[in-house]
Amino acid sequence: MHLQNCGKLASYLLSSVLALSIGAAPGTNAGAASQSVAEERSARVASRPVARANVYEAKRETVLEGTVMSYTENSQSAPTGAHVMLRTASGSVDVHLGPATYLQSRHFSLVAGESVRFAGVSVLANGASVFLARTAQKGNQFITVRSPRGFLLANGAARMLPAAERAQIKQQGGAR
Amino acid sequence: MNARPKIVALCLPTFLALLAAACGGGGHGGNGGNGGPPPPPPKFSNGSLSGQYAFSMNGTELCAGQGSFFARIGTFTADGHGNITNGLEDLNVCTGTDILQFTGGKYSIGADGRGSLSLTNSTGTTNYSISLASSTQGTVAQVDPTVTASGTLQRQNPATFSNAAIGGGYVFDFKGVEVTSTTVDPASIIGRYDADGAGGIVNGLFDSNIAGTLSGQQSFPSGTFYQMDTNGDGTGFGRGTANIAGRNFAFYVVDATRIKFIGTDFPSALAGDAFAQQNAVFNDGSVRGDYAFLIDGLNSSSPITTAGRFTADGAGNVTDIFADENNNGAVTLLPQGTVTGTYAVDANGFGGGSLTWTDTTAGTFSFIFYLISPTQAVFQETDSNIVSDGVFAAQMTSPITSASMAGDYAFVLSGVNSGGNEQDFVGQLTLDPSASFSGLLDSNRFATTTSQQVFDVLINGSLTLSGNGTGANTLNVTEVSPADTFHFTAYIVDQNRIFIVCTDTNRVLSGTLTRQP
Repeated sequence: MHLQNCGKLASYLLSSVLALSIGAAPGTNAGAASQSVAEERSARVASRPVARANVYEAKRETVLEGTVMSYTENSQSAPTGAHVMLRTASGSVDVHLGPATYLQSRHFSLVAGESVRFAGVSVLANGASVFLARTAQKGNQFITVRSPRGFLLANGAARMLPAAERAQIKQQGGAR
Repeated sequence: MNARPKIVALCLPTFLALLAAACGGGGHGGNGGNGGPPPPPPKFSNGSLSGQYAFSMNGTELCAGQGSFFARIGTFTADGHGNITNGLEDLNVCTGTDILQFTGGKYSIGADGRGSLSLTNSTGTTNYSISLASSTQGTVAQVDPTVTASGTLQRQNPATFSNAAIGGGYVFDFKGVEVTSTTVDPASIIGRYDADGAGGIVNGLFDSNIAGTLSGQQSFPSGTFYQMDTNGDGTGFGRGTANIAGRNFAFYVVDATRIKFIGTDFPSALAGDAFAQQNAVFNDGSVRGDYAFLIDGLNSSSPITTAGRFTADGAGNVTDIFADENNNGAVTLLPQGTVTGTYAVDANGFGGGSLTWTDTTAGTFSFIFYLISPTQAVFQETDSNIVSDGVFAAQMTSPITSASMAGDYAFVLSGVNSGGNEQDFVGQLTLDPSASFSGLLDSNRFATTTSQQVFDVLINGSLTLSGNGTGANTLNVTEVSPADTFHFTAYIVDQNRIFIVCTDTNRVLSGTLTRQP
């Protein structure tokens, strides 16, 4: 234990000396000392190539309108989650909506024959085209499935509930 | 018909394991009767879980009719006889943050290291399946109908429950969600800092990836600190609070080498560990040799996980790159074409760095890292709209063979099923010298209506080594009931640890196997 603490202290002192040697004041953050390093690395990271074929690029967002041919909650093809096969004027499109549980919690359902409108981005998954929906609209019913950057809200939308609703849920109890 | 002898051979160890569990107690089967000749001394028993343990896990809770990310970390005291006598935990759930004291609980550990654990606080009792790798560490999964989660536990060293004891350099990896009033986005923050032994922090550096937006390397904003609680929770439970990378956290000390953190800036939620950083001035030469990695997180399709390996030459080049990426069922396996890559360790010597490789067919994969030591680092992917992080660790240099890998392993797996809903597994398996294995697992498969908890499920399968074993190996797992077969790629870190990633296109799953004594 003693040796371990000595090692840690030595590590701290070494870091401080190192920080001094590159210009940082002791007892402060690395700050300006690592500015050039940060800029150098930021440049390296920023120079990375554009997104791979299966990620959401908001600038490519488009709108799809059509008729539901089928709705599947547990897709056996990627991405996992609910899929709609949509008939559009230009052919059928596989639309991904994320976990069906999220749609159910918002009382949003889709059945064959319904007209629906999606906004989202088309990507490739396992070589097949799939439309990642950000929003869905059926009649007057509108649901947002993804954030503006394309991430599924299902991962934490309940955290956006109003304080009063959160308090009510907490009061209803259940082991935490 | 020819398969029958093989099935018998595979089932025999499982039968013996079941017999041991039934006779030796543990698991969810409880303590059964006994009879017959005395069994060999069990490797594990209730006495294997004795003392104070820190735990951390994150997962999905049912909230307002929907699944929602949450995290919990804390500590409990096990008396070695099946009772939880004390404890404390911090929660970050959909209704806010909470600190809850455990007033009791029970546990049972079987001969194979698997077991059950219940923890009681003022709100009720939560239930867990655990699998011990040793008496000092294990894996854990919450198995309640409305909550699933998985993580790890480690025995605490109360002698380190002070500001002075956790002074020094630390590397951290936090992940979770950052939430505003209008949206929720995945977050990964990795970095390092020096704790001065008295509550101050200097040389704090971090890189955040929020929904694919990279901060680049940043210094900690003003207000950074760490402080053990002074109300008794610090000395009693190893709890403290901190401001790291501009975020507020509670933490629990495992020992001077490891600290568990949970974010307290609700509605955002972060969780992760900090590891003592080796006392060294790092440079390109610090990254030399063979490394295996495992990362997981989210992208726009939702869960993504990647495992693989690379060789670094100590001079900025990486070769022999393998990777298996499961991007919510879209599977990319490298190499597809020719893969070449480079890396650079930051000139400031603090251990940060970047790594990039390009497959002439599959494209470019970019990462940053912070070295804990020359043999391990936290690792974050920086490709567009991908938020994924984890670790890389030096691979063993001695020959990897079926015989050298034979033994008992505890494991934990986490991911999503074909419905995109979280599922967590903990279990134990015995790998024999012929590379076949059998074992048992518990799982929790989340749903807003009827989550499914399954206990003591038989599994069997095989590990097929490829080449010298340092590359992509195959691990196929058959689950007896509910019947299912999982196809994994296994990257062997060393004789004690294996990273695995599922390559099935209808689920996402990854985790770690850790050797038992």
